[in-house]
Amino acid sequence: MRVSNVTVRRRIFVALVIGIVLYTALITRLGYVQLVQGPWLQDKALKLWNRNIPFEAKRGRILDRNGDELVTNISVPTVMAIPVQLEDARETARKLAVILGQDEEKVYKDITKREMINRVPGGRKISTEKAKQIQELNLPGIEVVEDTQRFYPHGTMAAHLLGFTGIDNQGLTGLERLYDEYLKGQPGYVSYLADARGKSMPGGEEQYVAPVDGMDMYLTIDSTIQSFIERELDQAMVAYQPDDVLAIAMNPKTGEILGMGSRPTFQPDRYKDYPSEVYNRNLPIWKTYEPGSTFKIVTLAAALNEGVVSLNEGFYDPGYIVVAGKRLRCWKRQGHGQETMLEVVENSCNPGFVTMGQRLQKERLFDYIKKFGFGQKTGIDLIGEENGLLFHMNRVGPVELGTTSFGQGVSVTPIQQMAAVAAAINGGKLMKPYVAKEWRDSVTHDVVGRTLPTEVRQVITPETSAKVRYALESVVARGTGNKAYIEGYRVGGKTGTAQKVKNGRYVNGEYIVSFIGFAPADDPQILVYFAVDNPKALAFGGLIAAPSVKSIIESSLQHMGVPKRKNGIAREYNPALGQTRYVEVPNMVGLSMQEVVTTYDTLPLVVSGKGTHVISQSPAPGVKIEEGSKIRIHLGDKSAD
Amino acid sequence: MSKSRSAPDFVIIFATLFLLGIGIVMVYSASAIVAQKFNDPFFFAKRQLIFALLGITSMYLTMNLDYWIWKRWAKIGFYASIGLLILVLVIGIEVNGSKSWLGIGAFGIQPGEFAKLGVVAFLARWLSDNQKQIVQFRKGLVPALAIPAVCFGLIMLQPDLGTGTVLMGTALVMIFAAGAKISHFAGLGVLGLAGFVGLVLSAPYRIKRITSFLDPWQDPLNTGYQIIQSLYAIGPGGLFGLGLGQSRQKHFYLPEPYNDFIFSVIAEELGFVGGSLVLLLFLLLLWRGMRTAITAPDLFGSLLALGIIGMIAIQVVINVGVVTGMFPVTGITLPFLSYGGSSLTLMLTGVGVLLNISRFSR
Repeated sequence: MRVSNVTVRRRIFVALVIGIVLYTALITRLGYVQLVQGPWLQDKALKLWNRNIPFEAKRGRILDRNGDELVTNISVPTVMAIPVQLEDARETARKLAVILGQDEEKVYKDITKREMINRVPGGRKISTEKAKQIQELNLPGIEVVEDTQRFYPHGTMAAHLLGFTGIDNQGLTGLERLYDEYLKGQPGYVSYLADARGKSMPGGEEQYVAPVDGMDMYLTIDSTIQSFIERELDQAMVAYQPDDVLAIAMNPKTGEILGMGSRPTFQPDRYKDYPSEVYNRNLPIWKTYEPGSTFKIVTLAAALNEGVVSLNEGFYDPGYIVVAGKRLRCWKRQGHGQETMLEVVENSCNPGFVTMGQRLQKERLFDYIKKFGFGQKTGIDLIGEENGLLFHMNRVGPVELGTTSFGQGVSVTPIQQMAAVAAAINGGKLMKPYVAKEWRDSVTHDVVGRTLPTEVRQVITPETSAKVRYALESVVARGTGNKAYIEGYRVGGKTGTAQKVKNGRYVNGEYIVSFIGFAPADDPQILVYFAVDNPKALAFGGLIAAPSVKSIIESSLQHMGVPKRKNGIAREYNPALGQTRYVEVPNMVGLSMQEVVTTYDTLPLVVSGKGTHVISQSPAPGVKIEEGSKIRIHLGDKSAD
Repeated sequence: MSKSRSAPDFVIIFATLFLLGIGIVMVYSASAIVAQKFNDPFFFAKRQLIFALLGITSMYLTMNLDYWIWKRWAKIGFYASIGLLILVLVIGIEVNGSKSWLGIGAFGIQPGEFAKLGVVAFLARWLSDNQKQIVQFRKGLVPALAIPAVCFGLIMLQPDLGTGTVLMGTALVMIFAAGAKISHFAGLGVLGLAGFVGLVLSAPYRIKRITSFLDPWQDPLNTGYQIIQSLYAIGPGGLFGLGLGQSRQKHFYLPEPYNDFIFSVIAEELGFVGGSLVLLLFLLLLWRGMRTAITAPDLFGSLLALGIIGMIAIQVVINVGVVTGMFPVTGITLPFLSYGGSSLTLMLTGVGVLLNISRFSR
């Protein structure tokens, strides 16, 4: 009973053919996946298999120019959890939560995350006591590991300059942030192939890439000079209770910042305890204000360089100068009378400087102002520098030209003044200020990189610069800057007092008093600027800032080993030799406070009463008193005169 | 019925034992890591070896048992299959979301595997007895389809889409070979498509399976996970593979790497060369099996041989198609290679029957 027929056989054959076709398709597909897609799939798979256990790099230290540590690292304990090794996660979380003061549920969630290793909330950078407590619990799967944290051996010193780091040791402000790339180094890792449960695959090769520690940064800062600055800042805060106070010291020839600071300041490792304005504003580069008389150095340098004045030419100051029908007053009401241009500088005589500005004309004056670097950032390697503000050229009339000549109506930063004055006294070169001096390998201490001084441009000739130095030395030896005089160190400098501007208007009774000084005048080694904002004690100008600058310069030059000079400009009156200078008491009755402050900034005043004008004074005008004696003035509202 | 028996088809024996050998080695390689939880890297390999020995014994017996006996036992086998399929729905053990295991002592058996052979034997008997009616729709095609459809329905209740598909596919090949009208098949095709769409629409998870196979990277953590893990094994294997025992994906990335995804591990460790060798062995088996079906002395023998070899071929195509990302993920074992007692012993029993038929080749 054979029933098999041709149809059945033919159809089985068809099935065979279909089968062969399907098998061929499988082999083709297999070949496509393995031979064509293979490399692509391999790449993707490697990402799946590959695990890295990171090893943190040590952050580079920050040191001063002589290798004194300003910022370094210390080890701090950190708690980590390895989920697969936890025995009783609930109980572990409960115990940790108590010690770390955290929510138990949150701790539980975080430590049981399906990762190889987890952070424990609140467990980063903890105290050694807490770490010891945790270690004593002997919890399986809980490890106390070493983490590092920034340490500041000098406390708050140079806090704004240095900045601080966040929880991951990442730079957040200051130099820490600007140079984060160099300081942080390159983290290393152990990489291995992991199975789907995160364990190392047997036979898979492990690869260890060592971390590259961050480079050590050596600053231009000299920690000794910086400490002098910090000392003077603190004293100014105590003595005058100002809104703020700032200081900069610089090598005028190179632009190297030797020290820089301001108050209020903060503790970098506890920055969270301070308002953000305190740690975010680096005042020496951020603050903009009218410079006042210190700006006259720019006018003087421009006028000398253009040859429109000479220091021994004569000038008559009647106490004012009329510009476009408007009287611009000299700070000394009765005027300085007949004087030389050198005396104009010594006396800080406003009409004299207006005359210099007029002879330069506005284009040339403003050209010099810009060439000295005002109106644009100096480019110092710090974060948060401001531009300042100049008059728009088309808005500069004769009055604006006049006021600009003696430092009113422009807005500048302290660092701009530093760079400009440095150019005026160093032979005429505008140098770019900088802070990071050298990079060294943290292990071998080999120098890896170095910042060289950058000359921006030649602004005035070396000859002009020498004249400016001479004139400014004369200001200290014989003029308004006498409080900065140091026997044998040939200090040059200039006082400045400027009324504060808020919302485009002058604020009555609030001033920024400043002094900029350098030494020695024959070969300047250091340039120092000191500014006090709104001193509460009513003493002004050269009386407040100049002694601080003197103190910084004197301490610093001794520290730097600069020999004393013999051939300086002799002091007119030398208290050290028992010589006393007598001054005539000026008539201040009827003057406004603004006039008093900008005019008599070298006189120690004791103020009583409240009001806008002086209604009485003691001693009476015309009386001769010993220099430095106090003059009492009583304020009241202006009487009907 | 006195036929002269000659020697069985040696090529079939060779290909089967070769595949079986590869299977045992690869089950060991693929399972050694996972078996560490039993503290015995040979845990699965040892069992597979026992199943293989059981299967070879069974194969040897059926090879010498003249195949007409199955015509007599077919009806009982079929009803027993239905009985077991109902039983598994009642007292079965749920594994991976489907009730497909009957636990007997330490070992479990899968009634679905048994039912595949039961249906093949019973359908071969029915078709050879009623071949003249097969061209008719109501008297031929409908009752012929009803035989696998009953079991298919029960299997889909577990649910076990893979086994159901193999069973239905095998039956369709047999009905086609028996001489059913092509026009009827075309009609069935349309009906099947409609049914497929209906099934997909009724259970949204099936849509995900389809889309995940079209683009596994769309959802790599959920629906596309298995395909991606399989491709991560096969792709890096390249031409010659990573070497025996060197699979990376068997380290818990592939779900049960010794089972449905054993071909992925083979392709990973032995490369395109090894994977192709396995497929060529299956091709060899297909050719000799089909040859046995064509040269069988009677229609029952032809259809029985076709059913057995067709079932093997369909499983190979679906399994390899799934692990290489051609088809959506369906749980189906690779004959002779995947770990599993029921599957292996019954497959080898089937090959034994096939070998017996080959002994009566014209």
